[in-house]
Amino acid sequence: MIKRFLNDIKKYYRFSVVSAKSQLKSEVAGSYLNWIWWVLDPLCFMLIYTFIFGYVFNSKEQYFPVYIFIGLTMWDFFNKNLQGSVKLIKNSKSIVSKVYFPKYVLLMTKMWVNLFKMMVSFGIVVIMMLLFRIPISWNILFCLPILLILMLFTFGCSCFLMHYGVYVQDLANVLVIVLRMVFYLTGIFYNVEKRIPQWGPALNRYNPVAFLITGMRKSLIYGETPEWTFLLLWLGVSLLLVVLGIRKIYKEENSYVKSI
Amino acid sequence: MSEYAIEVRDLCIQYRGLKAFSIKQNLFGRKEKKADVVEAVKNLSFQVKKGEILGIIGRNGSGKSTLLRAIAGIFSPNSGSIDLHGNSVSLLAIGVGFQKELSGRENIMLSGLLLGFTEKQIVEHMEEIIEFSELGKFIDAPVRTYSSGMYSKLAFSITAILESDIMLIDEVLSVGDTRFKKKSYKKMKELIADRDRTVVIVSHDLKAVSDLCTRILWINDGEFVMEGETKPVLAEYEKRMG
Repeated sequence: MIKRFLNDIKKYYRFSVVSAKSQLKSEVAGSYLNWIWWVLDPLCFMLIYTFIFGYVFNSKEQYFPVYIFIGLTMWDFFNKNLQGSVKLIKNSKSIVSKVYFPKYVLLMTKMWVNLFKMMVSFGIVVIMMLLFRIPISWNILFCLPILLILMLFTFGCSCFLMHYGVYVQDLANVLVIVLRMVFYLTGIFYNVEKRIPQWGPALNRYNPVAFLITGMRKSLIYGETPEWTFLLLWLGVSLLLVVLGIRKIYKEENSYVKSI
Repeated sequence: MSEYAIEVRDLCIQYRGLKAFSIKQNLFGRKEKKADVVEAVKNLSFQVKKGEILGIIGRNGSGKSTLLRAIAGIFSPNSGSIDLHGNSVSLLAIGVGFQKELSGRENIMLSGLLLGFTEKQIVEHMEEIIEFSELGKFIDAPVRTYSSGMYSKLAFSITAILESDIMLIDEVLSVGDTRFKKKSYKKMKELIADRDRTVVIVSHDLKAVSDLCTRILWINDGEFVMEGETKPVLAEYEKRMG
């Protein structure tokens, strides 16, 4: 399977990149100002959350806007990929029924698109860090492994969602609810550990998205080191998910066409 | 290399009518209906020699297209095997999912990559494809502005010019206006005439089939009816269908 995977990646990697570029391009094609929404969208939500939770609920996090913005950016990446992957096969019927290609290539395409948007957002994070004069330490380098784990974990989850999305018609509805719950438990706009002292620390470690977001905040804003053990744990879990997901897709992908 | 390009052994393909289910249905009691199994292809075995042109005929819904898709690797067989001996294969069918907002040129690149060609190969053939498609300056306009004729011309040109060892053709012997029809038919003949290329054609156009093919496979309801030289099989087919 590994050999097949490497061959396929070599063969289809360019397709996924070119296809992602063209998707971004067609988003912009409608009006040239569309790309502004890639920036405005997270920026506006950041302002809303900063107002409501910083002012109305009186949150006392240091650098609160940056704190929220990092959370939102990473959550958006995770959320958009997962929601997009459920109907991915159905939406790509025109190509799925005409040529063979490994179906996770569609996921890769989707991920490049969202990765690009996430990078735009991180550009704003950098600007905000400069504006808030946040002191920088070597811990900032942890953002790379954290992003890598986020991508792997997202990809692994997406593989399974894409697979079951073919057979389970209302998976999308269920997913929206589950994701909303995870969203609130992840502490995008509040500090889980302070607000729920009893469960907070556990929630922050055993919820991978929360762990990664917290880790990112620690490394970028507070100059702290994320917990090594859990970083490695989630790296392992993510890799396992990816391997199992790709195996599942290889095994079942040729029957997808029959049910769409 | 083996002398056969395609070897199909005991191929069976089934569709299950109701495979998708919803959680809502499962929760609220309604028992999931037993899926009715449609057997699209039953126990087919045949070989196609390298360079041969095989025509597959049969009524609508007799499993011809399913068979082609299985050979193209889009479907997995439920049992039996298909051996292509490592040849590259492409299914010639109208419109490999174009992206509407992108230009024709970009769509050529995307489709080509999807068909498994490298960027270099596609760039080399780009001009040829554009020329063959007769789209002229429209090639840089978004595909959504194309007429349906232009759309199919582009699709045909891509698959016709980016060649593969085995070509599977599903009812696309003619596209576009009369002139382009003639031209594409000629191109098709040219492609087919290549000694090294193995071709499988599915068509209802008996004249075209008798014109192009060297051998005919006749299937009905997914089952093998007759196989052999073009003329006798077609004669028998016409007798029985007529």
